[in-house]
Amino acid sequence: MKTKSKRKAHDPEIFLNREVSWLSFNSRVLEEAEDAATPLAERAKFMAIVTNNLDEFFMVRVASLKNAIAEGDTGPDAAGLSPAQQLALVREGAALQLKRLHELSERDVLPGLEAMGIRIVDFADLDPNLRPGVVRFFRDEVQPVITPLGIDAARPFPMLPSLSLNLAVLFEPEKGGDDPRLGVVPVPAVLPRLVRVPGAESTYVRLETVVLSQLGSLFPGQVVRDVSAFRVLRDAELEIDDEGGGDDFLSLVEDEVKGRRRSKVVRLDIDARATEALLKELVSRFQGADPVVHRIVGPLDLRFFFQILDLPALDSFRDPPQRAQATITPAESADVFSLLSLRDILLHHPYESFDTVTDFVRQAATDSQVLAIKQTLYRPASDSEIIRALAVAAEAGKQVTVVVELTARFDEASNIRWARRLEDAGAHVIYGVRGLKTHAKATLVVRREPQGIRRYVHLSTGNYNEKTSKLYTDIGLLSANEVLGRDLSAFFNAITGFSDPPTMQLLTMAPVALRTRILSMIDRERRRAEEGQPGLIRAKLNALVDEDIIRSLYAASKAGVKVKLNVRGICCLRPGLKGVSENIEVVSIVDRYLEHSRIYHFFNGGDEEHYISSADWMPRNLDRRIELMSRIISKEASDRLSSILDWFFEDNQKARALEQDGSYRRRKPGRSEDPSRVQVRFYEEAKARAERLRTAPLTLEPIKRDRES
Amino acid sequence: MAAPRKRTLTRKPKDGALPPPLEPPKPFAALDLGASSVRLVIAEGEGDAMRIVEEASRAVLIGKDTFTSGRIGQPSVEAVLKAIEGFRSIMDTFGVVRYRAVATSALREASNRDTVVDRIRVRTGIDIEIIDGSEENRLTYLAVRESLKSLPEIATETGLVAEVGGGSVDLSTLHEGEPAHSGTYALGSIRLRQSFSAFQGTPVHFQKLIVRHIKNVVDDIGRELPLGEVKHFVALGADARLVARVLSGSEPEPLAAIPRDSFLKICAEIAALDVDAILSSYRLSLAEAETLAPALLVYAELLRATKARTITVSNATLRQGMIFDLSRSEAGQGIEVFSRQVLASANAVGEKYGYDAKHARHIASLSLRLFDDLKSEHGLDPRDRLLLEVAAILHDIGLFVNIRGHHKHSQYLISVSEIFGMSREDLLVVSNVARYHRRALPQRSHIPYMALDREAKIVVNKLGAIMRMANALDADHQQKVKNLRVKREGGLIAIEVEGVGDLTMERLALLARSDFFLDAFGQRVVFRETTKGEF
Repeated sequence: MKTKSKRKAHDPEIFLNREVSWLSFNSRVLEEAEDAATPLAERAKFMAIVTNNLDEFFMVRVASLKNAIAEGDTGPDAAGLSPAQQLALVREGAALQLKRLHELSERDVLPGLEAMGIRIVDFADLDPNLRPGVVRFFRDEVQPVITPLGIDAARPFPMLPSLSLNLAVLFEPEKGGDDPRLGVVPVPAVLPRLVRVPGAESTYVRLETVVLSQLGSLFPGQVVRDVSAFRVLRDAELEIDDEGGGDDFLSLVEDEVKGRRRSKVVRLDIDARATEALLKELVSRFQGADPVVHRIVGPLDLRFFFQILDLPALDSFRDPPQRAQATITPAESADVFSLLSLRDILLHHPYESFDTVTDFVRQAATDSQVLAIKQTLYRPASDSEIIRALAVAAEAGKQVTVVVELTARFDEASNIRWARRLEDAGAHVIYGVRGLKTHAKATLVVRREPQGIRRYVHLSTGNYNEKTSKLYTDIGLLSANEVLGRDLSAFFNAITGFSDPPTMQLLTMAPVALRTRILSMIDRERRRAEEGQPGLIRAKLNALVDEDIIRSLYAASKAGVKVKLNVRGICCLRPGLKGVSENIEVVSIVDRYLEHSRIYHFFNGGDEEHYISSADWMPRNLDRRIELMSRIISKEASDRLSSILDWFFEDNQKARALEQDGSYRRRKPGRSEDPSRVQVRFYEEAKARAERLRTAPLTLEPIKRDRES
Repeated sequence: MAAPRKRTLTRKPKDGALPPPLEPPKPFAALDLGASSVRLVIAEGEGDAMRIVEEASRAVLIGKDTFTSGRIGQPSVEAVLKAIEGFRSIMDTFGVVRYRAVATSALREASNRDTVVDRIRVRTGIDIEIIDGSEENRLTYLAVRESLKSLPEIATETGLVAEVGGGSVDLSTLHEGEPAHSGTYALGSIRLRQSFSAFQGTPVHFQKLIVRHIKNVVDDIGRELPLGEVKHFVALGADARLVARVLSGSEPEPLAAIPRDSFLKICAEIAALDVDAILSSYRLSLAEAETLAPALLVYAELLRATKARTITVSNATLRQGMIFDLSRSEAGQGIEVFSRQVLASANAVGEKYGYDAKHARHIASLSLRLFDDLKSEHGLDPRDRLLLEVAAILHDIGLFVNIRGHHKHSQYLISVSEIFGMSREDLLVVSNVARYHRRALPQRSHIPYMALDREAKIVVNKLGAIMRMANALDADHQQKVKNLRVKREGGLIAIEVEGVGDLTMERLALLARSDFFLDAFGQRVVFRETTKGEF
């Protein structure tokens, strides 16, 4: 295969750097916050998201760049940039973004909230009448959980947890000494960041400013010279060494989670008003780590906006509420198995209700004819109905096998809790596959029916998480197709270690075969184009990074294949380059819901193929994760997928087109075009469908199961 | 022939689980522990409605261990335990309780086989049955027959079914579509690889050396099996299937015909590659890649020894045969077809030693008549009836060696023969039954008899007693007795005989030879002659 002969030489002119591309995605999210047309509460939400994203970006990506530099790695990426060059670009870009973010907060959003009657203030700015109530709160609630730390020769600088907010205090030197002494007060993370001010409607004071105002009681007899809030972010990359012995992977992760606070500090945010002396003193404590320092004007850590989003005062400053719509009638949802023996169900979340999936698992758990349920769980909701159902099934003696991924970043502690709970119920819990993250989202139900064993499957592009299913767009498929059932059964046998990886017909699995399969389908399109047939590849993804795939798409484009990509986040492919990618178009949609579905479509000379998948086109998905791609064969479902893809490329409200230079330009409706906002259209469509369902004449038709369907 | 032993698993009872309204088919499983992999097939339904539900496989290297050191090493045992543990879990997924789990030569020849079987049972609850080559042939043949339905010519000409396994090559000749001769020969691919493992040199030299060895063995085989008459060559096994896949691009479904020359050519090409080249060209596991070349060379030499113009690769496997067998035994069918194949093969052995076919068939029919009439006395099953029939067909083949002591020669010849569908244990019973058709009754000094377990001794006693009487009823080798029936008269068994001509000799012989019957059944036998039409 052509793409196999991977050229080692990098081609800066045809690849974009992934870190810069990520920053540019985060900037598009920030644009939504900056957009005055966005309702105020949504702007605040986007700001909290941007903050959160940048935090993770530093803890993972920036940390790994810094590690690469520390290890002396100077090797360029596909775009020709060394780690040091990338870090320089990233520092600059991130600083700029933080500046935009906090300016926006100071200039628009905090004043905007105040205009709505929601005040978020410093203790110092609080009406003196209101202060005693807050001070009482400090004495009763804060002081008992606070641990001020003086630092001297006997007491070294403490290990501050990642993402923690703290106060740094510089005291006047003791008598006889010259040097000012440093103290640190961690702001308790167990308390809400915003403290409701007693006696004032919708007024909040930030916790760190409350602590700051009461320093005297924390360090009695000391004279404070300087004080400032700061936060630290540490390297969060989970590096699990699963090569050595040790069977108890679970306790390994537990240790790792506890150990996270010990890793290197990568970023230090500090109040812009802090003195140079204080900052210098503080930075000297992180020697060797050389953190990226940001001076922030206004409050640190805007994730506190999450706390006020649900206030009733903001009710009229939100996106209109959208209820997930039903896709099947109540009678059908009462017996999902019978329905599936008649037809496949394609679900488009969050427009269409995730309840159908929950019902499916719940019915499987209590159905007397169900023998076994197997499921992958990557990031379930903390109080998950699905997990409850699985526990019920296990307690009823069904064979319940759950493959959980404990190394799902930032969520490990909660994963460990429910995994233990399932084990207690008698389920067989498998803690992932050594060396690979289990990212596939699949459920298999084995049911004994009068005609014999029948398998039911659910495959999805999104996690089994009732909460994110309301916020992320995903595609799910429920089916009783025999081939699909057999494939999925083989998949579970393989990942549970019961069988060697099989050959499958409708499913393709990473890391065994997915990359080869995708490359060969792209290549097939190229060959057809070279023979003069029309070629078309459409894909909707979250990220496109993989070099092999990008090169193979370039080759297809050169052969005349039309390539339409809808890539929400990182995209290292440069579209529209003469002689390279003229036939490639890349669009990113950032709107109310996080675009998360992965859909691929290959024209294949008219014998079209549609797929859904859990995988992005990134090396980590294709090489280091267990992923699934499923061919959609029912005519109804693949037609629908095709029209879903059509719509994604018609958006001219929230879509940005990627330019050759890596910048994104907002799409505008053409002169003859109507405005089209795809997320709104999908919701309207789902509503209309649900309406048809409600008004459909009631027919009493006995359901006959057809074994061959 | 070892009818499938009934095995069931105990399953965790389900609280509150209601019985299904309509009894769904019960899935069953076949598990096959081979030289380089352990495989599982789960199916449900009977006959044409049979449907495969699930298949799984895990690579294990027990063949490499056994054929190198004679025993299975600890790491391989662990790998087997882990694999079967996983299979057990898959069986539970589908609620499988009925299964058959077999192991072939790689375990059979391991010195620690009993320990391994026991550890598997203790750890997984799965009972592994070690089967011999003939049972393996019988089971595989069930699948072969199914696949050969699309090759009708084979029903009129001589065919050869060959499967090169890790430890041995299994061969059966087909005469008019039914198995005639069969044999298991130590030409397995892993064994070959191991025997020449000390060899250091180019693949080409290796090939020459190994081919010379294979040729010698194939020549020997040619003395036992009519290879030269074979017109249809049917190849089984993963290595043969790989060739079919390479040449035609797809798996045989169920058959793939390959011209003789193309097959020989690709065998030579692949044999000339080193293992790394095979690995990268054919996407195999290391174990599969290492044994591919030796296996193909065996097929090639066997093919050269025949007249076949094409080689037919069949997708039939042992586990498929086991699944057919299980689906039939669920339905209670199949024994007739199977008996016909066994008897065809027994007659082929008889012919080899120039037996008196008429006398043999006559004794068989008299024995069976006695067996059927004495059912309430002996309490044996149809499987024992078949053993009796085979013993009757072959009881006199010792005459080929010498008339003196020919019953002892018969015993020896039968015990070393290959009869389709007969296990070693079966043949030991059959050979003892044949031995006691005349002269001495079992004694402590008779080692082959004493080597039998208690149950087998009882079967030999009962069948031997019956056949001894049947033989007495054709003392003259003239087939004078046309019909008989058994009557119970108080404590006596009366054998009413309808015959032609003078039956004095038979009467005297019966009286003399009912000694064994008295021993075995505790009842005296009397001879009564009747005239035609009284039955």
